[in-house]
Amino acid sequence: MSGRAITTPRHRRPLRALWLAALLSAGLPSPAEAQIGTVVVRSPRPFGLFVGDRFAATVEIEAAEGFAPQAASLPKPGPLTAWLDLTRVAVAPGPVRDGNRLWRLSLTYQTFYAALDVRRLDVPAFAVTFASEAPRATTSAVAEVPGWPISVSPLREIQPPPVADPVEYMRPEGASPRRDPAVPRTLAGGFAASALAGLALLARDRAWWPFRHRPARAFAAAWRQVRRLAARRDAEAAYREALLALHRGLDRTDGRRVMGEDLAGFLARHPAYGALAQPLDRFFAASRDAFFGRDPSAAQRTCPFPDLVATARRLAAAERAARGGGAA
Amino acid sequence: MTTTRFTLARVLRRAWGPVRPVLLVGLPLAAAAEALACAGLAWRDGNANRAIAALEAGQDRPVAADAVPELLLARIRFLAARDRLDEAEPLTAALDGGGAPALRALAQIALGNARLRQAFARLEAGDLERATPLVGLARQAYRRALTLRPEAWDAKFNLDVASRLVRDFPERGREQGEEMQADPKTIWTDIPGQPRGLP
Repeated sequence: MSGRAITTPRHRRPLRALWLAALLSAGLPSPAEAQIGTVVVRSPRPFGLFVGDRFAATVEIEAAEGFAPQAASLPKPGPLTAWLDLTRVAVAPGPVRDGNRLWRLSLTYQTFYAALDVRRLDVPAFAVTFASEAPRATTSAVAEVPGWPISVSPLREIQPPPVADPVEYMRPEGASPRRDPAVPRTLAGGFAASALAGLALLARDRAWWPFRHRPARAFAAAWRQVRRLAARRDAEAAYREALLALHRGLDRTDGRRVMGEDLAGFLARHPAYGALAQPLDRFFAASRDAFFGRDPSAAQRTCPFPDLVATARRLAAAERAARGGGAA
Repeated sequence: MTTTRFTLARVLRRAWGPVRPVLLVGLPLAAAAEALACAGLAWRDGNANRAIAALEAGQDRPVAADAVPELLLARIRFLAARDRLDEAEPLTAALDGGGAPALRALAQIALGNARLRQAFARLEAGDLERATPLVGLARQAYRRALTLRPEAWDAKFNLDVASRLVRDFPERGREQGEEMQADPKTIWTDIPGQPRGLP
């Protein structure tokens, strides 16, 4: 990792720690803290910081296996000094090397130092308490994280040219941000298009306009006619026309003329209407009475007009279910 | 394996029967409802943009606290530019409740700018006592803006301007007084709030 590293030296790895020890004269760990190894602070860019900039640091702490940092002892996000905020703290366990686990502390700071010249500032030191999770006794050790330097830079020259009105020193405010209505507009268009497409599918299924004369919806057309006739005043003529409409529906469904005695054959060819055998039987009986019988009024007793309407409706529904699903 | 797939296909086919009519009716209804809702959103956005344009042009428009964040910001800017900061306060609270950090930062910059302008006016009048707390308020606002959005360069710049008006001296409790190494008296000579007419 590129970056500046500052360590507190420790005895087990003198070679690696030696040159780093030269950087820091203070911060030697006390013998009581043998459970804590090297503490390294790495910062990818501790220089060239303007006021308000965020900068990151990673602290690597070697601790004996079984020791873990106590959450309460970690630095808390918030203001640290008058010019420095800690904005984010995260801790994660790293790999284990010869009985020591490397803990990584990721810290994000934000400086508010309005510098007049490039200058070195110290990020304050802090301590993290590590504790071992033994079942009985709790042992704790403190890792001292040393302070480390950053360098802040000024945004403006020390003596800006004089202006007539000091307000001119300030940055002017730009245009107010606007809402972007394009997204909801596009979505509305898309949904409207899919609603229309869905409506077209529904119209095709129900044989509504402009699919009124769809051959696969003979009973739908018949039901539409029967329903319209049921609202008419001269009940006798309307009834006869309704019977004829249903006959046409049956004929068009079968592709041939269907008479009363053909009903069994029709149901065998179109099993989807099997549940309607009884109403169809009554319909044929009523039709015989109405057109060929002596007493046309007997037809309405065999199969009253509301029953006829209900039969037509059920036939249309069965037709949709059978032929819409791809069967029949 | 084949038998399970066969039965699965049969189950699906059987389920399709009752599902199909519901789907056929439900799909266009749901899509129509969504289309209406989105059209309503687009209409609201268009209205908000017209109100923002009016506020920018200097015409006052009443804005409720439940307005869209961009409109809240435009009204806060309008009020801040006219030193009506008390009226802007409930709107700022509303914006903090539901606005994006970038918009909230812009609102804080507007409030900071208003305070800083007031401070400049006091300094021009030679009233240093009353200018100092105003500069402090402006710096707080810029700092909040930078906390919300560290890349708000206007806030950085104006915070720098405000900080040179009133330096805060390091507190006594600090362990390292490193920043005192440079002699402050030789550097802090520029005060942008110099009265007019001076060289």
